[in-house]
Amino acid sequence: MSYLEYVVAAYAVFVMVMAYEFIAPRLQIRRAHRAARQRAARTAPRPGMNPNELTR
Amino acid sequence: MNPLLRWFHKLGSPPYFDRFAARWAPWGYGLGFLVMAVGLYGALFVVPADYQQGDSFRILYIHVPSAWMSMAVFALMAVYAAIALVWRIKLCEILAMACAPIGAGFTLVTLATGSIWGKPMWGTWWDWDPRLTTELILLFLYLGVIGLYNAIDDRRAAARAAGLLAIVGVVLLPVIRYSVVWWNSLHQGQTIRMFGESSMDASMVWPLAWMVIGTKLWFLGALLARARADNLRREAGKAWVTQVPEASR
Repeated sequence: MSYLEYVVAAYAVFVMVMAYEFIAPRLQIRRAHRAARQRAARTAPRPGMNPNELTR
Repeated sequence: MNPLLRWFHKLGSPPYFDRFAARWAPWGYGLGFLVMAVGLYGALFVVPADYQQGDSFRILYIHVPSAWMSMAVFALMAVYAAIALVWRIKLCEILAMACAPIGAGFTLVTLATGSIWGKPMWGTWWDWDPRLTTELILLFLYLGVIGLYNAIDDRRAAARAAGLLAIVGVVLLPVIRYSVVWWNSLHQGQTIRMFGESSMDASMVWPLAWMVIGTKLWFLGALLARARADNLRREAGKAWVTQVPEASR
């Protein structure tokens, strides 16, 4: 009457969901920072470029 | 100005909230982990097996706290959504929407662990019992809030629409709570009472108390982390986002 496999399965589900709640936000934060850095790099003027120079 | 009121105003500033969440989310996770570790140790190795259910009753130590969290998180989400709708506070929109995936996770755990316990005890994985059915509807409501929030491009309009669904969905909470009283239910009635005597032996209750506190702390960590991620996404074009120190990322 141990029902060990049921207990293990239930606790595995719990641990997986809790772990997901730890990992998913960390990945989202990292992704948001990377996107912000890439956006900043795109909009920053290139070195040696005159910002007043007309370009196409 | 009152210092507490001033602090609330400062918390509404996206860079300030980012620093606040980066500082306190690890504490929520860390304390939650420690408290849950004690609770899980007690649940799995200290508390004796039930005389009728054997070891399968140990599933309740994750099922019950998750079930309570599934409803508490929904109520909190509705409160944040109502504040966001009335006072148009952006941070409350972010916090309300951060609640949804975490609450959905707890609801999923509740349904899955209940189902796993039900197979050996009831002889079936699932029954269209009032408590089980209403909890399943709660999961669908969470998924509806998440889906609606992601379906609209304008973040503020999306949060308002999804927040409205969260507020309307609150009517389900008392139905879940009293479903075992109002209808004949396969699900057992109230066993553990916050006030008054529980029908569960006192020697079996303490790991549950640790798990209840642990899941709340873990939720706080997850809420701050998810809200921080959403805050960063919304503020992606601002200079302060690129200036956040590497250590707090």
